[in-house]
Amino acid sequence: MGLTPPFDWTGSVGTVTLGATAAEGGTRSVSYRIGGGTTLPLLPGGNPGHAPLVAFEICDDIKLWPAIALKACGNVTGDIAAWAKIAENTYQADVIRLYLTSTRQRNFSDFAKIKTTVRAVLDATTLPVIIEGSNEPAIDSEVFLACGEAGQGERLLLGTAEAGRYRSIAAAALAYNHGVIAQSPIDINLAKQLNILLREIGVPNNQIVIDPYTGTLGYGFEYSFSAMERIRFAALKGDADLAMPMICSAIDSLNIKEVRDANPAGQDRMAISWECYAGIAAAAAGAEIVCVRHPGSVALLKDTFSHLTPKSGGA
Amino acid sequence: MVDVNTAVQSGSALLKKQMGSFAGSFGYEETAYHLPVSFALTGIAVHDPATAASAYAKMQDNPLIAQECLLAVKAGKAGREPAPYTGFIPDTVLRKLGYSLVDGSIIGLALLVGRPEKGSDAAGICRELQEKYMLTFLAGDIIASLTGNGVKVGLDYRLIPLGSTNAHGVHFVDIIARVAMMFGGVTPGDAGRLLTYAAERAKAIVFVFPGLSDEDLALVDAMRVLGFPIVSLGKYESGDWISASAEDAVRRGMEAKGIKVTVTAIPIPMGCSPAFEGKSIRKEEMYVEFGGGRSPAFELLQMKKKDEVTDGKITVIGPEITAMKEGSANPLAIIISVAGPAMKKDYEPVLERRIHNFVNYGEGSWHVAQRDLIWVRLSKEAVAKGVKIEHIGKLLASKFRMDFPSLIDAVSVTLITDRDKVLAAKRDAESVYAERDARIRGMKDSDVSIYYSCTLCQTFAPNHVCVITPERPALCGAISWLDGRIAYEISPAGANQPVEKGKAINEITGEYEGVNRFVKKASHGEVDRCSLYAVMEFPMTCCGCFECIALMLPEVNGIMVVHREFTGMTPSGMTFSTLAGTIGGGAQTPGFAGISKQYILSDRFLQAEGGIRRLVWMPSSLREELKSRLLKKLEEQGIPDFFDKIADETTAATIEDLSSFLAKVDHPALSMAPLI
Repeated sequence: MGLTPPFDWTGSVGTVTLGATAAEGGTRSVSYRIGGGTTLPLLPGGNPGHAPLVAFEICDDIKLWPAIALKACGNVTGDIAAWAKIAENTYQADVIRLYLTSTRQRNFSDFAKIKTTVRAVLDATTLPVIIEGSNEPAIDSEVFLACGEAGQGERLLLGTAEAGRYRSIAAAALAYNHGVIAQSPIDINLAKQLNILLREIGVPNNQIVIDPYTGTLGYGFEYSFSAMERIRFAALKGDADLAMPMICSAIDSLNIKEVRDANPAGQDRMAISWECYAGIAAAAAGAEIVCVRHPGSVALLKDTFSHLTPKSGGA
Repeated sequence: MVDVNTAVQSGSALLKKQMGSFAGSFGYEETAYHLPVSFALTGIAVHDPATAASAYAKMQDNPLIAQECLLAVKAGKAGREPAPYTGFIPDTVLRKLGYSLVDGSIIGLALLVGRPEKGSDAAGICRELQEKYMLTFLAGDIIASLTGNGVKVGLDYRLIPLGSTNAHGVHFVDIIARVAMMFGGVTPGDAGRLLTYAAERAKAIVFVFPGLSDEDLALVDAMRVLGFPIVSLGKYESGDWISASAEDAVRRGMEAKGIKVTVTAIPIPMGCSPAFEGKSIRKEEMYVEFGGGRSPAFELLQMKKKDEVTDGKITVIGPEITAMKEGSANPLAIIISVAGPAMKKDYEPVLERRIHNFVNYGEGSWHVAQRDLIWVRLSKEAVAKGVKIEHIGKLLASKFRMDFPSLIDAVSVTLITDRDKVLAAKRDAESVYAERDARIRGMKDSDVSIYYSCTLCQTFAPNHVCVITPERPALCGAISWLDGRIAYEISPAGANQPVEKGKAINEITGEYEGVNRFVKKASHGEVDRCSLYAVMEFPMTCCGCFECIALMLPEVNGIMVVHREFTGMTPSGMTFSTLAGTIGGGAQTPGFAGISKQYILSDRFLQAEGGIRRLVWMPSSLREELKSRLLKKLEEQGIPDFFDKIADETTAATIEDLSSFLAKVDHPALSMAPLI
């Protein structure tokens, strides 16, 4: 491009490994090292050559899942293994993100089933896997223990740690060597604080991925963008407590009224557009994993990212 | 009575003799850590007499290594002991135990060895440990004694029977050694880090009943090096052990190890978390407010004798929130008394400053500034949920105890809302503030090579860095150099860090290489240069808590100061709050500086711009407040008549008035070098 931006960064984004191949003690066909950037996202000369990863999100209880995603995926949604498989082989996702939505029902206690579900997904796909556990503190301990154990050796990414509840996830990450998603509500200071809390409990920086919390495009995304920008600046300016790669999931994209009320014939196109533009904006702000729920978004995002990403080292 | 030291010597000698007595290979299945204690301490993978001997020698004949080797040999020969004994705990089970420790579902570990004289005593101790979320390991006769008393043992009961002999207690140590390697990042052979990890992170206690052989005593006593308190319930005599009765054994052990059953929820009808710290309560959202220039308010934290503080006692003197009108400003005094063995008088101002954070932690409570300048608001939403004045006291008492467990044993809070009583108490508080200020007076910046930073306000102003020197307190006026030093002592990873002054770049403006280096890093690269004594060039950043603002008035070639309490217009054409909005947020604004009142009296005040002779205006109330001290200062400088040359709002309300006032009194600033 001939553009040499006049930055004088002193720091860089740390790297986090996602997934483990047989050589690394797991059973994945690929593992990713995300992070490592030494300048702003997508600029030449200073970002590792790989494009942001596209994660496809699936869940084990579809009650709360957006109808349009379920419709687009068809009848595999009832079978978690089949869903994971199609996400890898047909949708061509880079990563599978499993939401254990079953744990979100009242008085959930079937912790053995979590293990079977996690195992089923790991067996069905060869891709690295992200697991989203419970969001109820009372069962966190059991849920994350099950997730951690079921995925031992596979270098999962476990989510989602927040300032008030991070101990169980941290424990699972430490005991079974997984990564942790650390989420803060669009606030750089809280992001930093949570990273410090995780460090104090013993989770090293190279096992933490920041989730800045992503609003949907047009529904607060600009706040997320600004927080992400500042996180990236801080990392590049040498703040080790914020120098982690970021993950973004604008999960409300498929629930907004523009998509819900779209003309049925064009609804899929509308859904894909909203997901993809949010994803591209997130990548521009520094996201290294972008998550989507509509199958049609995967290929489009991957194609876009491949054009946006400068080749390694090239300026 | 058994003399532990003698027994340990004889036991160690016996162990040494046995170390030469075995042959063949040995080791445990289901672990990647060989004999974990030996492996962690020495890095040697012990599996035969030769490796055992070298590990033993490397650790100067440590009984832990001897017992571990001997037990492994014995287990190899005799096989696993029958249920309920667990014997060596495999790595997979240990991961789960470690998980519960990190997760917080268990808060510590205990080992019980020996033969209790009364089974019921041991059962009582176990029950207490279970209730306190401790994971308890058992070795030796105690297991039979417990089961004989109807106590159920097993992992589900958090009572783990390791083995039939006291020597099986060594598994307790191999568990901790493996937890350190698995979770603590301790590399095998790094004995120093292992010991630090065990002492600081592993919350472990050992309880010893009668009936231990000399070898057993050598083993148990050797655990002291890992920082485990040894609580004796038998007739053992050792200066390093704690003798206790069955009733107070658990309490004393936990106290010695500093294990606290933590309070996690504060019983008030609103959320309380650092997550709410940055949230402000706007006028429209506010139910009532206190201070902020609208009503008298102050806060004071003082240390008291232990018997003078009833822990958790909250007293409200005056009307409660229910008797206050919505939207009104009310008087408030927050008076906190603390007691604790490690507490020092010097720590008071540092802890007092935490009131600011803690009140802001409340979902519906908000706090700015400090001392007698505080401004507190409670939101409509919080009051609708039932929040009362009393709950602010509860919040403060709980947070102080939670955050300073090593300093504070007891906290009581008195909240006064009765106007006359607030005013009376405020007079006393002011004398305490004056006393604190006096303590630091007399110390010079050139006397020390270390200054202290304060980044407490980075939650509001992310790039703000205060550099606190003996002659320049933090801009909020609440933290002096001494306070910074103490805060750093109390919490070395906290918001006050030492700043190496380094080589002087300019003594007059107060620019130093070390300070610049620090500020650059702490401001996340935003600020490259910081002049400690300057307003015009590279002044310090401002958060928002400054007591006063110093700003240049180019029209009169001078600098004016306005303080937070002054709500009127200044000759700059801006009020304090407009100015504060312009310069705050962590920015460096040439021509403007946030300062403390105390700094006006410092010899370093405006040093870069020519000293106090540059001062042209300040509000009459500030002039009055500083008068006696300022006059003394000016006398020392040989300009006693200068005080009357400083204008205020009564003599010069506008810049034009100021200009003619200064000409009339022949103010020295008029003939000084141009500011710009």
